[in-house]
Formats: sequence, C-alpha cells, structure tokens
Amino acid sequence: MLFQLENVTKTYGAVTALNNLSVAVPSGAVGLLGPNGSGKTTMIRTLLGLIPVDTGSGSILDLDFRSQQLNIRRLVGFAPEDECLFPRVPSVEFVAYAGELVGMSTKDALQRSHEVLDYVGLGEARYRQVESYSTGMKQRLKLASAIVHDPKLLILDEPTNGMDPAGRDEILQLARDLAHNKGMSLVFSSHLLPDVESVCEHVIVLGAGKLLAEGKISELKQVHRHRYEVRLKAEPGVFAGRLQALGCLVDYRDDLLLVQVPDGETQQMIWRAAAENREQIRSLRPQRSTLEEVFLKAVEHA
Amino acid sequence: MPIFDQGYQHWSGTLSSHSMRWWAITRHGVRVGLRSWIVRIALLLSWIPAGFLAFFLSIWGLLERKSELVAPLLPLLGFLDPAVLENPQNYRVEFWTLCFDQFLAFELFFSMVMVLIIGPSLISQDLRFNAMPLYFSRPMRRIDYFVGKLGIIAAFLGLVLVVPSLMAYVLGLLFSLDLTILRDTLLLLLSCIAYGVVIVLSAGTLMLALSSLSRNSRFVALFWLGLWFVSSIVGAVLKTVDTEQRRHAHFRRVYEAENAEPMAIPTNRDEQRQQQQARREQRRNIEEEFSANELKSAKSNWRPLLSYAGNLSRIGQALLNTDASWRRLAESRPENNRQRFMLENMGPQYPWYWSAITLAGLFGLSVVVLNFRIRSLDRLK
Repeated sequence: MLFQLENVTKTYGAVTALNNLSVAVPSGAVGLLGPNGSGKTTMIRTLLGLIPVDTGSGSILDLDFRSQQLNIRRLVGFAPEDECLFPRVPSVEFVAYAGELVGMSTKDALQRSHEVLDYVGLGEARYRQVESYSTGMKQRLKLASAIVHDPKLLILDEPTNGMDPAGRDEILQLARDLAHNKGMSLVFSSHLLPDVESVCEHVIVLGAGKLLAEGKISELKQVHRHRYEVRLKAEPGVFAGRLQALGCLVDYRDDLLLVQVPDGETQQMIWRAAAENREQIRSLRPQRSTLEEVFLKAVEHA
Repeated sequence: MPIFDQGYQHWSGTLSSHSMRWWAITRHGVRVGLRSWIVRIALLLSWIPAGFLAFFLSIWGLLERKSELVAPLLPLLGFLDPAVLENPQNYRVEFWTLCFDQFLAFELFFSMVMVLIIGPSLISQDLRFNAMPLYFSRPMRRIDYFVGKLGIIAAFLGLVLVVPSLMAYVLGLLFSLDLTILRDTLLLLLSCIAYGVVIVLSAGTLMLALSSLSRNSRFVALFWLGLWFVSSIVGAVLKTVDTEQRRHAHFRRVYEAENAEPMAIPTNRDEQRQQQQARREQRRNIEEEFSANELKSAKSNWRPLLSYAGNLSRIGQALLNTDASWRRLAESRPENNRQRFMLENMGPQYPWYWSAITLAGLFGLSVVVLNFRIRSLDRLK
C-alpha cells in the first residue's frame, strides 16, 4: 500500500479541509483531482507530516505520518506547486543542496545532481543561476531536486502549471517514465485531467475534504452498455436519420456518431441498419466515460 | 542532446542521520558567503587587529626574556608605569588581558560588520524566493533550520573572533618560550572563545529574527545598522550628559568652597610657592575625589545599557576580568592618581549581569519572533 488514511479530519478554524477522509491507495501512479479548496494540498501536507491532523490515523510507505514525519520525508520527493528557489546558486548546486538537505554526502549529492539534471534535460544549463531560468526550466529543476535522493514516492503538485505545450509534454513524459519504467510511485496533483490521465493509472477525486471517487482510471471510465461510437465510410447524416427513425438517440461530431440504442437492443441493431442501408462501418465500439465525465459526475454528486 | 543518454539511474547510497541536518545548511551558507568579495575583504581587514595583538604579545614575550631586540620598541609601551616594565613577568596576566581586551574591542566592531554583511539575507532571501517549502518538505525540523542559519553566522564570527585570537595567542606563546604562560593565560583564550559564543548567540539570533521580518534584505541591514549605531549613540549621549551634570555640580561646589575662605596674600616668594603647591594639591585631591565618586556612581549607571554593542562589550570585559587588571596596574601609580587612572581607562562599571539580562531578553525576544515568523511559513502554500 502506498498510503492510507483512516477517518482523517483536519480543520483550520471554521474551515474543514479534510472531513473524515478514509482512503487506501496502492503503489503506482496516483492522480489527485479536485476543485480548488477540495483539500488536495492539505492531503499532501498531511502525507508529508507537515501539519498535525485533528483526528484520524494513517501511514505512508508503511510509516505513521503522525510520528515518523522525518523518516517519511527521507523516502519522499516533493515538488511544490509554487515557484520556490534556493537563491544565488547555479542549478547544479541547487540540486546538490537539495540532496544534502535530505542527508546525502556532498560528493554523492553533487554527482547525483549532474545525473538528474541530465535526466530532466537541464544538463546544458547546469551552471546557470537558477533565477535566470524560464518557468518550464524551473519546473524541471524542482523535479530534479525532488528526485535527487531517488525517493520511493514522488509527489508532484501541479507540475505543468504555466508551461507551454512542449514543456508540459516533457514534464509528463518524465513523470510517466519515472512512474512506469523506474518503479517510483507517484502522486500527481493537477487540475488538468488529460495530464492525470496520461500519467496515472489510479485516481482520487476530492471535494470539500471528502473522498468523492477513487479507483483505477480504467475501471472508473466504465463501458456504457447501450451507447456506441460508430464511424462510417460515407457521410453520417443519412445513416443518423435512419437510426433515429429506429428509435435510437444519435449525436454526431464530425464523422463520429454517438448512438444510444433502445433498451433491449444491442449493437446488432446498428449492424442490421447499416446492412439495410448499404452503409460501410469502419469502426464500432462501446462508448466509455472520459475522465472528465467521471470527475464532473463525482463533483456533481458531492 | 547528449551523445550517450543514460536516463534515470537509481541511487543506493546512505543518508546521514537527522542530527547533522543543520550542517548542510551551514556548509552551503558558508560556501555561498565566501564567494562574496565583500566578505573576503571584511575577513582580511578583521585579521589586522590580530596582527597587532600578536605583535604586542610577542614584544611582551621578548621583554620578559630581557631580549635586546625589544629595546627600540619600548616607547610603544610608554603608557605603562616604569615599575611594570622593570618586572614584566609580574604583570604578564594584566598585559595579556588588556591586549586581548583591546583586540576584542576592535573585533566586536568587525563582528558587527560581518553580521551586517552575512546576516540580512539569511532568512529574508528564503522568504523572498519562497524556499521554505523546499526546506520543510525535506527531513528538516525548524530547529535544524535555525541552527543551520545560526551556524553560518557562527562560522564567520569564528573566523573574525576565535581564529585570530587563537593564532595571536599561539604566536605570543612561541615568542615567550615559557610554558608557565600557558598556565597564566589559558583562561584568556577560553574567555575569548566564550565571548565569541555570546556574540554568536546574541547577534546571530537577533539578526536572524530581523531577517525573518522582511523579504527585503536591505531593510534588514538598515535596521541592524540603526540598532547598532543609534543604540550606541543614545547610550553614549545619555552617559556623557549624566557625567557632565555631575562634573559641573561637583566643581561648582568646589569653587564655592574655595572662594568661601579667601587665601592670605603671600608676603614672599616661598609663601607664594607653598600656596601654589597647596592649591595644586587641593585640585588634585578634588580631581581624585571626583574620580572616586564617578567610579562609585558608575556602578549604578544604567545608561550604557542602552547600547547593544556596549552590552556585548561589558560581557567581554567581565569574561576577561579587565577591571581587575586595571586595578592591579593602578596600584603601581601614585596613590593620589589611582582613581583617575582607573576612571580614564576602565569601561562601564555597572554589574555585568545587567548586560547579561538585557542580552538574554533580546535573545528571548528573537527566539519568539523566529518561532512566530517561521511557524507561519511552515506550510506548502
């Protein structure tokens, strides 16, 4: 188990940031979703042992987050959302210093700093002062300083904020590589659902400090039993009309038909209609929910 | 694109224990600090007094050994009574104490300058660049952070105070070629180190507290300068005003007493000379009486307490026991000149623990400020 929280409640005065939250998350890449004020940051703080909780218990990497905070932070790498810098140093020293703060020897930290800067693509700029870096470079620098000590768990808080598409892709690629190829567990907090979907296999949706949805993304994106995505060789307009006449609900975007067959019918109905109208079907598959739908549905129910 | 991209490699080294985590901050801070040419120049300048200290201690060593080499340099020691110079070994501790006292007075100035150069950015820049989450998301407690930052100030103050003291002490020891000097003066060296610790704890925590109050290190530096200069000026002005008031009152009384009984007109030259002699003697006694009164009133004069540097200096004098050395040297003076000699040379006479309490109060206040300011930032956003 990567981490588990049991009935955790955390309040700031009158505001309840985490409300009797219980969740158990297996190792791997976990997306942390939720609207602003849903408790994502408080949850990350709790996991890192930075704040005391009012009630509840839990563990991260089998360490109690209430009593073993320092040991937890040795095993965890964290890249905060905000722009944070150790000032007046070149990046190679920045990352080495981050390693030394975790407990690495000076020599190890410096050697490792060179390695991870190469890995995140800042090798060429390693001797530049960090203040002169662009937003994208600073994000990669934060990532490098978070993984310098080779943590078991990496927590990325909004790592693609303010980045251009190319830079965003690079960060996502790095996060994917670390999580899927290097055996590093990942907690990926983001507002951008496609980012979470492209990196994580597991997702937690928070709302008002409560757990709204949780599970494998592939399972959450359930298959609709009566809805299908259909692509035709010809223009879909005529065939859409034919399906509507047969009692189907049809929506179409460009060349894609979204067809909901009546209760009791199956996809065979679509095949039959195509045969009768001499339409050539290029693809037909059951429709799945997108992560966006899952998220909106969870938030709506809250 | 690198020629050979090895990708991400796992690291299998061991991490050090939590207890030494502050050391990483100190080491990094010293490394960054030493890159500044202003710091390097300040360090070099601060070692000049150590050269003078070593020089005078060496002269004393040669004087004790009756070396002829020291003869041309004797005028430099003209402020000492000839009786002292005739038997220097008897006044070794006093001479060394006063030399170290002067040295520490200079070094206190350089310490304040060094704190001014090094200190303001220590926390304020972390606040400005939002570095707190980078520290506290790592296995780092607030106490580690404070101690690490204090360690940076301690390292530089050590280079200003302790290292030169040690070097000058060793040089003085080598020139005297007498092991008894170690027995007589080792306490001085320990006092220097203790004084360094006091300055580090007091000035260090005070500067860190000031640094945590602003994101702009220039404001912090200005505040430090104000604290240092303004408090010194206020303390000195109040002390001078107080002394001058007493001096005027004293001499007004004396003048009135002198004029109350007019002297008889001398009838011959001898009588005139005797009258002049008596008047001189009377004035000297008056001066001596004034000096004795001043020394007495200095014991309860709180005004120097207003000076931050003055308080540090008072602690230094107490640690070195400078007053005892001045008293011993005063004994070699004529009786009617002792009080004046002591008044002219000795520093503030109020109890040293007044300064200790003042500095302890400032230390406590600094800790409270640090605790409050850094606690509120112990968060991720």
